[in-house]
Amino acid sequence: MLYRICHITEYLYNAPVSHCYNLAHIIPRTSHRQKCISTDISINPTASFKSIRDDYFGNRAYHFEIQRSHKKLVLTATSKVETREQFFDAKLDAGTTCADAWQLLNYAKEAEFLLAREFLLDSSMVKALPALRAYAEPLFAPEKPLLQAVMDLTKLIYKEFKYSPESTTIATPLEEVLATKRGVCQDFAHLQIACLRAMGIPAKYVSGYIETLPAPGQVKLVGSDASHAWVSAFCPGQGWVEFDPTNNCIAAEQHILTAWGRDYFDVTPLKGVIFGGGDSPILNVSVDVARV
Amino acid sequence: MVEFIYKPRPNLVDEAFDADGKAKPHWQYLLDSLSAMGADAFADRQNKAQRILRDDGATYNIYSEQNTPDHAWKLDLVPSLITSEDWGKIEGGLLERSELFNLFLKDIYGSRDLIRTGVIPPEALFLHRGFLRPCQGVSVPGEHQLLLHSVDLVRATDGKLSVLTDRTQSPSGAGYALENRTVMSRVLPSMFRDSHVHRLAQFFQKLRTKLTSLSINQDQPRVVVLTPGTHNEAYFEHAYLANYLGFHLVQSGDLIVRNGHVWMKSLDGLSRVDVILRRVDDSYCDPVELRGDSQLGVPNLLEVVRAGRVVIANPLGSGILENPIFLKYLPAISQALLGRELRLPSVATYWLGDDHDYSKIKHSFDDWVIKPIYRGDMQKSALVSQLSKAERTEFLAKVQAKPELFVAQPAINTTHLPSFSGGQLVPRPAIMRSFSVATEKSYTVMPGGLTRVGTGERAFVISNQAGAFSKDTWVIASEPERIASAGGGEQPTPMREADLISLPSRVVENLFWMGRYAERAEALLRLLRTVFVLLNGEEPISMVCRRQLLTCVTEMTSMLPGFKDAPAALINNPGDELIAAVADGARMGSVRSNLNAMLYCSDESKELLSSDTLRVINDIRDALYALDSDLAGGLASAPEEALDPLVTALMALSGLSQESMLRGVGWRFMQIGRRLERTVQTAAIIDNLIVLEVGEQDQSTLIQALLQTLENLISYRRRYRARMGVQSSLDLVMLDTSNPRSLLFQLEELGKHLRALPKVPETRHELALEERAALEAETLIKLSLLKELSSRDDGQRKILKQNLEQLTELMAAVSSHVSDKYFDHKNSSQQLVRNAIGE
Repeated sequence: MLYRICHITEYLYNAPVSHCYNLAHIIPRTSHRQKCISTDISINPTASFKSIRDDYFGNRAYHFEIQRSHKKLVLTATSKVETREQFFDAKLDAGTTCADAWQLLNYAKEAEFLLAREFLLDSSMVKALPALRAYAEPLFAPEKPLLQAVMDLTKLIYKEFKYSPESTTIATPLEEVLATKRGVCQDFAHLQIACLRAMGIPAKYVSGYIETLPAPGQVKLVGSDASHAWVSAFCPGQGWVEFDPTNNCIAAEQHILTAWGRDYFDVTPLKGVIFGGGDSPILNVSVDVARV
Repeated sequence: MVEFIYKPRPNLVDEAFDADGKAKPHWQYLLDSLSAMGADAFADRQNKAQRILRDDGATYNIYSEQNTPDHAWKLDLVPSLITSEDWGKIEGGLLERSELFNLFLKDIYGSRDLIRTGVIPPEALFLHRGFLRPCQGVSVPGEHQLLLHSVDLVRATDGKLSVLTDRTQSPSGAGYALENRTVMSRVLPSMFRDSHVHRLAQFFQKLRTKLTSLSINQDQPRVVVLTPGTHNEAYFEHAYLANYLGFHLVQSGDLIVRNGHVWMKSLDGLSRVDVILRRVDDSYCDPVELRGDSQLGVPNLLEVVRAGRVVIANPLGSGILENPIFLKYLPAISQALLGRELRLPSVATYWLGDDHDYSKIKHSFDDWVIKPIYRGDMQKSALVSQLSKAERTEFLAKVQAKPELFVAQPAINTTHLPSFSGGQLVPRPAIMRSFSVATEKSYTVMPGGLTRVGTGERAFVISNQAGAFSKDTWVIASEPERIASAGGGEQPTPMREADLISLPSRVVENLFWMGRYAERAEALLRLLRTVFVLLNGEEPISMVCRRQLLTCVTEMTSMLPGFKDAPAALINNPGDELIAAVADGARMGSVRSNLNAMLYCSDESKELLSSDTLRVINDIRDALYALDSDLAGGLASAPEEALDPLVTALMALSGLSQESMLRGVGWRFMQIGRRLERTVQTAAIIDNLIVLEVGEQDQSTLIQALLQTLENLISYRRRYRARMGVQSSLDLVMLDTSNPRSLLFQLEELGKHLRALPKVPETRHELALEERAALEAETLIKLSLLKELSSRDDGQRKILKQNLEQLTELMAAVSSHVSDKYFDHKNSSQQLVRNAIGE
């Protein structure tokens, strides 16, 4: 599927920002199921310096610096991306078992397995707490195919957690998400990653967009889409497979990915250091995903 | 005479003796010389050395409010001796190790083949916080990625030398080693000369050459030393090295990234920086990509590094090599990268994250030294058997909860070195830190290094934080060494002329304020001295005078309410409040708070101050330290005498800045600060003592107090002999330009300094705002008429008062114009998305 994505980030400050340095992860990366055809970025006020590079995880990292005083920052990224379904060579219920996966991850000497172990470790926003292991453990019977277990976990989170934008912020710890059973896609992704790591399965955080379809007979509203997040789990023998706990599915054509990392912190859409700006700036984000 | 002989001890292996207890040949000369010198003479030298270190400002953990002598750098004058032959072997081992670490660093931030091929388990690298993922692919020009490498070496009692830790972050100690050497050669000159010691200068020359060569801009490369600031424990070394190498010392706020380059904010604008020798840990260096909560870094620095427009030594990310887990795998890493085992082994290291290692250690924790894998955490390493029961339980709970974050090493019994303690030569366990710097084809190792000895015969922790003494390390040449080529002496390289103008504006601002605080403190001290003398004088002074003098103290310290409109009871018993005005550092405006502020400014601009100046600053610190006990007697015990040492020291400071400071821009700003402040203070004294109309007797007392405070009483008496007159006094203190304390003298000097500041060519002849204000002030005083100034109206000398108030306002305008134009006003920064956890 070919998409055109328009992602607008706007910051409103209550005091002038004299200058600022930013790092954005807003250019969709290329992966085995996706190709980014083009990205146009416009920044207001004009950036005095810009650069793009590939980061440690292979994502596109975009740096810019603004040296003129401003109270409003608008960053607009418009990308054209072609996506495909995920492709893996086994059905969910017929691949590597959990027991085999653990065995391979522990002892196999292939570089792919060794490098995947980076995603077993705690990261700044994801800690594999004992409570999360206890939550996931019943689903990971040794003889069960691993991907089936991950899909069951995806389903469990979808069923038990309520989507509730008001109840959490980026800083809400996982213990609290688990206790209140509320959150947004980032929380669910972090929670599932923590469960997988606690179970000894490498897991990545994937950030991107999802195409939402209007209810039958209605016109789609511009800006009604949002940035999205899901997970990618490593299954020895079958590779990395993406699951979406917010929508109870395996990520498909409608999932357009921007970047992946250990957690949100590695792939924050826009972060940086500002000089001045006062307290509590207002952030507005609008995303529009359209089929081309 | 007390015998001063070092004897072997049974049960201890000593570097100075062979197995039969006979002095080794290379120690013989030293031990003989020591015994010939005797304990008393040696103790004298030791004291002299401590004095020199102090005068040089050599401290470890400097500026704390009460700078007690404990913080001074500690040097034990008995050197550690190594023969050239032994050193040759050690040096070879160190070179090989540095080469290996260099290749290792390239692999970690490059292809990570050591992980891919299973030489190192992935967790050993990936779980360590020192692995900075944003540094992937960052590289330094030239063959070497690892530019500086230090190693802590211990010799076990079986004679084997091994590496305890590697320092690759921003290895410290080389500056202290140099300072130790400088002091040794001064205090024990003949012993040093006769021992043919390998010189250190060449190492620093290589360091300088290497750093300069890293610049992409070979025309006029600018290298800076980045320090976390004056509060850092090793700030002395940062300033000392910057000076010795001829580089600017900067803090994070002095640097800014703009248009893809790093710049230093200086008086004449932004100057480009090509190379940074950092003493800030890598994870703190860039809040955009590394630790977001860091205030010690420069936003976007890493992106400039990536573009190759600035080089940082050591490169960002190099701290990962300090991970002690790697010591376990080093033999395999060496096989993989060099194809052979290292000649210089590490202390046996077990990683508790490895099941096999953990099961080996878990039944015998008490036998091991357990270290956290990440230095800088609150958690310290511990020899478990030395912990108290409660500490042991707490410590082991942490270890058992996350064993992968700890390593275990056996406790090493090290050989001992003779050390001077308690008037005797006693054996102490020793550790030595070596220093390597990358040079064109390989590394250069400093001959010798920084030796440290434990505080007790069986001390386990040998660190400066634990109060250990340091020693100079002498590698003894078998034949006299050729003197290094010209410029190779152990003398600081002078700063380039051009660099003197482009000082960081922070340094200049600190010099300006140092001048102001010094003058303010001096004016207060002089006033207080006068007040103490008059209050305690033979002739009682009237209530009106008392009140006027005490109010003047309150006005000048701004310690309100103080004596302002105070009840008679307080005016009659002013002792406590007056002592507070001198010594209460917690109250803004007191003498102590002003001097503390001045000392802070002097620390911030330390690298520009001469060694004589540093000595005087130490005197001020001492006098401040002694102040409380000197003033303990209160008003009754001639408190004015307690103030004399401070006044004298401040006079010495101002004299030194006149006589021995280079007339650079920094000096100008200090003078501007001084002249401006003295104008303000003098105006305040005149305002408080002369404006009010009082009876003739009281008038005379107050004029006398004014002249005394301004140090003009003797000249006045010589000139006028007669009674104290208002007009003649004002003539002397306001208008007489031959009087260096008069207002007009200050204003003329101020004008001169302001005119001499750098200006942009386009407006060279237009008066700048600060010049206009200064000129207006000078004209105001020049045009005033004594008759009008002394005229009375409604109980006050109104015209005098108006003029003084206007003068004070104009001075405030000069100060703020100077500050706006020349100093940096950095907005405080914040993160766009807060993440306190960081990488």
